[in-house]
Amino acid sequence: MRGAFSGLRAWLLQRLTAVYMAAFSAFLFLHFATDPPVSFESWRDWVMRPEVSIATFVFFTALLLHAWVGIRDVVLDYLHPMMVRVPVLATVGFGLVALEAWTARILLIS
Amino acid sequence: MRFSIYRYNPEQDSAPWMQGYDIALRPEDRMLLDALIRIKAEDDSLTFRRSCREGVCGSDAMSINGRNGLACITRISDLKEPVELRPLPSFPVIRDLVVDMTLFFKQYHSVRPYLINDEPAPEKEHLQSPEDRDKLDGLYECILCACCTSQCPSSWWNPDKFVGPAGLLQAYRFIIDSRDRATQERLDDLNDPYRLFRCRSIMNCTEVCPRGLSPSRAIEKIRLMMVKGSL
Repeated sequence: MRGAFSGLRAWLLQRLTAVYMAAFSAFLFLHFATDPPVSFESWRDWVMRPEVSIATFVFFTALLLHAWVGIRDVVLDYLHPMMVRVPVLATVGFGLVALEAWTARILLIS
Repeated sequence: MRFSIYRYNPEQDSAPWMQGYDIALRPEDRMLLDALIRIKAEDDSLTFRRSCREGVCGSDAMSINGRNGLACITRISDLKEPVELRPLPSFPVIRDLVVDMTLFFKQYHSVRPYLINDEPAPEKEHLQSPEDRDKLDGLYECILCACCTSQCPSSWWNPDKFVGPAGLLQAYRFIIDSRDRATQERLDDLNDPYRLFRCRSIMNCTEVCPRGLSPSRAIEKIRLMMVKGSL
């Protein structure tokens, strides 16, 4: 298991995604604290600005990658039989990819 | 003083049990090991390891009121009664407070805890600057008592794959040694999902080390060396 998401790379990925999510969350907090949206339409218009929707999409991508590494860690710790581990990881992976596709559809395609 | 001690003799007992002792200690009995020796004088069936009685050999590591430590350097006056003594958590019990440390030492040996240097041997010795020698402080003092590894949840979950805090402390002791020539090889050996990266920085190891060492800091330094090496 020395692939792209094992050992050091998975550990680094988890930390880098955490840094991006923390920075983006701080940005969101500051933005809404200083310039709160007055209506749903103004909020939607702001989110749909390309730079905001792309940054938000990257945030959700980071969240899903972060979740993948975290859930994989829990599975490696607790689920030892391969008969259980492989289906669980496959289900989680499929679910996270589906969520990513849904996020892209909302933020980038619509 | 009251004690509650884990008892298990696989040749006689179907399951472990706790035995209570009420022992009159003498003024010269200052450490927990003194009390254990006093108990053994009355009940010679109680089994535990001990040797140096001064925190150097690491033989008498055990769970003392739920926290791993060495009986010989644990002051009786610091303990709450009844003192509950159990074998090191997660290690197979051989008898009473004596555990099987085979897997612990297998993991220790897997990091190749010796200098690897294929260069021609110097006439007298491998010299090391005082600064390089200082890097070994906080690492070489490990006595392999297993208090850290036995208190580490990551070791409980994957004892056969995760090297454990004691082994990783020793890995870093040789990774950082200026006389060693297998640094990259050692780092590569630890870069898989299990050997080092099962560590979740829970830091129980640092909390319980009777020598005051910090395996979690050593693990962090290994990770940083891997990151720098990958850039």
